[in-house]
Amino acid sequence: MLKYIIPTVMLMPLTWLSKGNMIWINSTTHSLLISLTSLLLMNQFSDNSLNFSLVFFSDSLSTPLLILTMWLLPLMLMASQHHLSKESLTRKKLYITMLILLQLFLIMTFTAMELIFFYILFEATLVPTLIIITRWGNQTERLNAGLYFLFYTLAGSLPLLVALVYLQNITGSLNFLILQYWVQPLSNSWSNVFMWLACMMAFMVKMPLYGLHLWLPKAHVEAPIAGSMVLAAILLKLGGYGMLRVTMFLNPLTEFMAYPFIMLSLWGMIMTSSICLRQTDLKSLIAYSSVSHMALVIVAILIQTPWSYMGATALMIAHGLTSSMLFCLANSNYERIHSRTMILARGLQTFLPLMATWWLLASLTNLALPPTINLIGELFVVMSTFSWSNITIILMGLNMVITALYSLYMLITTQRGKYTHHINNISPSFTRENAIMSLHILPLLLLSLNPKIILGPLY
Amino acid sequence: MAAGMLGLCGRRLLAVAATRGLPAARVRWESGSSRAVIAPSTLAGKRPLEPTIRWQEDPDPEDENLYEKNPDSHGYDKDPAVDVWNMRVVFFFGFSIVLVLGSTFVAYLPDYRMQEWARREAERLVKYREAHGLPIMESNCFDPSKIQLPEDED
Repeated sequence: MLKYIIPTVMLMPLTWLSKGNMIWINSTTHSLLISLTSLLLMNQFSDNSLNFSLVFFSDSLSTPLLILTMWLLPLMLMASQHHLSKESLTRKKLYITMLILLQLFLIMTFTAMELIFFYILFEATLVPTLIIITRWGNQTERLNAGLYFLFYTLAGSLPLLVALVYLQNITGSLNFLILQYWVQPLSNSWSNVFMWLACMMAFMVKMPLYGLHLWLPKAHVEAPIAGSMVLAAILLKLGGYGMLRVTMFLNPLTEFMAYPFIMLSLWGMIMTSSICLRQTDLKSLIAYSSVSHMALVIVAILIQTPWSYMGATALMIAHGLTSSMLFCLANSNYERIHSRTMILARGLQTFLPLMATWWLLASLTNLALPPTINLIGELFVVMSTFSWSNITIILMGLNMVITALYSLYMLITTQRGKYTHHINNISPSFTRENAIMSLHILPLLLLSLNPKIILGPLY
Repeated sequence: MAAGMLGLCGRRLLAVAATRGLPAARVRWESGSSRAVIAPSTLAGKRPLEPTIRWQEDPDPEDENLYEKNPDSHGYDKDPAVDVWNMRVVFFFGFSIVLVLGSTFVAYLPDYRMQEWARREAERLVKYREAHGLPIMESNCFDPSKIQLPEDED
């Protein structure tokens, strides 16, 4: 594990000691090299995990998430270069340091062997994200957004701390290697019900579950591009990852405790997809689409079947790449017209045809076009929920239709149609922007050729 | 009403043009998105070509177009040399090293999660058991003689 942690930590001195015109080149190069080494995690065994030490491990669930995390840092750095170009050198280095710190905490969270260690790092990821949102966001609403983000997540995760300390007292150790052998069926008592709730609410808020999702549109919209990218791609998946780990020892309570959350998610995914159809703000549309996709993941994790776990893992990776790409595209619009309103810059296909290609690919993957991994994830989830209860297929089918509707609505509004007369002075696409988009979409397309690596531990 | 107002403005503009001796516009403008037409008699060359009211949410008056100073800009930096190096670094390390070598590495992973081994082992065991007349599989997962059940409480 030190082969990932030490290079990531050393990225910070690299940033601070580089010359002013080399900070971006140095940090991008070295973060790309770190993402190459992350592929070494792929050496997974069949039913066991790759244990590095008593503190760190990785199994087929955390490996794709780790590779995604480490791949996203260079992309975030490239995406932030333009809007930070006017800032002072110290501010730029601070921004990069926040991103590197976040990356470090995320790597350690995904590989944490012990649950309290995981909790500490889970909370620690909030701090750099909050700093990025509130300091470098663009509008005044960013302060409110930071507040919502911080306190929703903190309020959800404080009961988790209590539950974990209680478990540590009962079992003696929260190490995964030991915990998986300690697992006993929990009896149906009120205190166990509250313990189930305490363990799960932190991750429900993070996912986010439909009723607790108010922080997400605010935080995603007000964050700068790197903040939006990391929020949508990784931080939401922290919730899914936590739920997948914690449900291991919460059986059989999950069978009946999960019902309200499954209902909320099934209804919520349709509601948030429908809200997307009514959005004027482009980033807000993408944020609500994230809630909708994550609601599918929540349902999949809570029904606890092998296929649903595979679908959840695949959906998390696919959504990470797609949503991050959509935020980058929205940012390329924002940097030109300084507005997030969709209809203000329409008919862009005439001016920026290559960017229209990326818009098309991102929208197609967002609506789960076969044979992308988005479809594989959604298909597995739909099939497993159908076997769990036949009626859910109506809701799932309706959700897929509305997802297609708003993805195409977003594509057609921004790309097709007659352009407005006031955008004839936008600059052509930069190589940097095309590089970011292709670095998002190529792994997605390559994974469609070999999806077994993202199907998780139950494959 | 709009036409009437246009006529009003047009008359005032023409009046201004007449008193100050400015030439009337010779350009006829037709809207592409609607059927509005501004005829030379009303425009009088005074209307600005683009709307200057603030329609941007977050206007940045220092918006610089990177292509002005450096028409070959790749979008990374103002300095052309740093810009070109940044582009090269991203493409070399991003595409040529990570994507190419990385996908080769993933494609040639030996027996990810031992799936092919599991198939071979299953076939070998089935062949052995059929050759020796043993049942292919037993319906008990664990050996029933090793399970200790708690005593019945009446």
